[in-house]
Amino acid sequence: MSNITIAWIALPLFLGFVIYLLPKLDKYLALFVAFASAGYALQLFLTQSPLTLQLLDNFGVILTVDQLSAYFILTNALVTAAVILYCWHSEKTAFFYAQLIILHGSINAAFACADLISLYVALEVSGIAAFLLIAYPRTDRSIWVGLRYLFISNVAMLFYLVGAVLVYQAHHSFSFEGLRVAPPEALALIFLGLLTKGGIFVSGLWLPLTHSESETPVSAMLSGVVVKAGVYPLVRCALMVAEVDPIVRTFGVGTALLGVFYAVFEKDTKRMLAFHTVSQLGFILAAPSVGGFYALTHGLVKSALFLITGALPSRNFKELQHQAIAAPVWIALVIASFSISGFPLLSGFGAKVLTTKNLLPWQAIAMNIAALGTAISFAKFIFLPRGGKAEVKPGFWAAIILLIGGLFLANIAYYEAYTVENIIKPLATIGIGWLAYLLIFKHSILKLPRVLEQFDHLIGVMSLILILLFWKGFAWLGI
Amino acid sequence: MLEACIFATIFCGFFGIILKKNLVMKIISMDVMSTGVIAYYVLIASRNGLFTPIISNVKNIRYADPVPQAVILTAIVIGFSIQALMLVGVMKLARDNPTLESNEIEKNNTP
Repeated sequence: MSNITIAWIALPLFLGFVIYLLPKLDKYLALFVAFASAGYALQLFLTQSPLTLQLLDNFGVILTVDQLSAYFILTNALVTAAVILYCWHSEKTAFFYAQLIILHGSINAAFACADLISLYVALEVSGIAAFLLIAYPRTDRSIWVGLRYLFISNVAMLFYLVGAVLVYQAHHSFSFEGLRVAPPEALALIFLGLLTKGGIFVSGLWLPLTHSESETPVSAMLSGVVVKAGVYPLVRCALMVAEVDPIVRTFGVGTALLGVFYAVFEKDTKRMLAFHTVSQLGFILAAPSVGGFYALTHGLVKSALFLITGALPSRNFKELQHQAIAAPVWIALVIASFSISGFPLLSGFGAKVLTTKNLLPWQAIAMNIAALGTAISFAKFIFLPRGGKAEVKPGFWAAIILLIGGLFLANIAYYEAYTVENIIKPLATIGIGWLAYLLIFKHSILKLPRVLEQFDHLIGVMSLILILLFWKGFAWLGI
Repeated sequence: MLEACIFATIFCGFFGIILKKNLVMKIISMDVMSTGVIAYYVLIASRNGLFTPIISNVKNIRYADPVPQAVILTAIVIGFSIQALMLVGVMKLARDNPTLESNEIEKNNTP
């Protein structure tokens, strides 16, 4: 099993460069890597005990894979496969597929490692590959958006490095376990890096612009898995070191509310989805012990939604309300929207119920409000007119069937959810959300300012978050 | 004292990123910041001693810790490649925009 793990981590990086040498085989190799990852993840579900590898003594690379990482790896595999299928008949060059596979491999590595330095390397490689994918169209805007992304993630990772060496000083190794004995400033610095990279709370407001201005398949990839590379280590830390659990949960609740607040008032489809990603990441963090299943559901549904919005005739909700969209596209859109609002028979329901069961009492009210906001913001999609005709790309349906099929299949992971009281609550939430949408939010013209999303402000907010983490968080808890 | 100097370098870089308007200056500030971080690793490594850990005839000298130094090599390479990539991006932007002011570019390129 340990040999398989190492081969599986090396495979995407190796094949990513082979694609350059054999550009004719690009799609096939890329798809093969995605399926190999899916196979590996399914195998992980079958093994009960977590597998820990320590390469080169206790200073070296530490890898840990268990069921939690299996969920994340499966998400990565399915979303990558869907994106490749979507691009199958397009004019993308071998360069695109090579970057896609390198991105896939680096994120896999981030989901497997359990020490701070391999995590740093994995995150930085994923940042570079994501930049190249965002800047792939070579327009001014795409280059600027990519540059901004790279800049913010690199500055955050510099703070993270300072935190990592402080952990080393205290524990004489870089493993996550060292966080227990690390000084509070080390925790604050590491958390700042991961929060920014993962798009959590105020420091994550770089995310909406980056995700909404990239190309359709790239946004699906970014929103589906790339941000989870920053979230997974937070979840892992919260599970390994019980002292940081309250901090992670607090940030989860804050993010869930902030993201959904913006999403409810947003008038642009892709920006609404991007803000909603911020909110859903909060749900993953709010209950770290079951975050894996939620991440799987969210990855599938959000990449499906991004691919579908790419097929809609406009990005503006106001225009879409007067323009009929094709019935099959509408059905796919509604299934995905239902799943994310927590409608039974789709895995979004199981994930929501499971998360609600694992919340602490003080979180419950805030998370219910966030769930209500989800229902309101997705009512915008559900109440669109239908009946028109739409031209979709040839690979579109293959990708959507894979993702939505995954949503139905993922139900079996938590079939205990289907009790009467569990079913009534999400239905009530959706009903109230729809009412609120039809009565109030459909007519609201409030436009939220974008001051916080300016480049300088995003960098400046990092220092504020750092101070907040240090004084109000860790020092207060007395770690 | 050394530690204070290193933190001053990191903060100089960080505030440079916020306060400088020119994109190239911003990238150079980021480099200053990463220099500070690298220096901090070297400082932490030298806590126990300054000698390189290589087998020689001298006995019982105080070695520097090789682990942080080895680790920071990776970070140097990554930082360098990111810098190169960003400068290429800025070059392409500068060809189409008459300015390198970040807020001008931001105004032109956000919807």
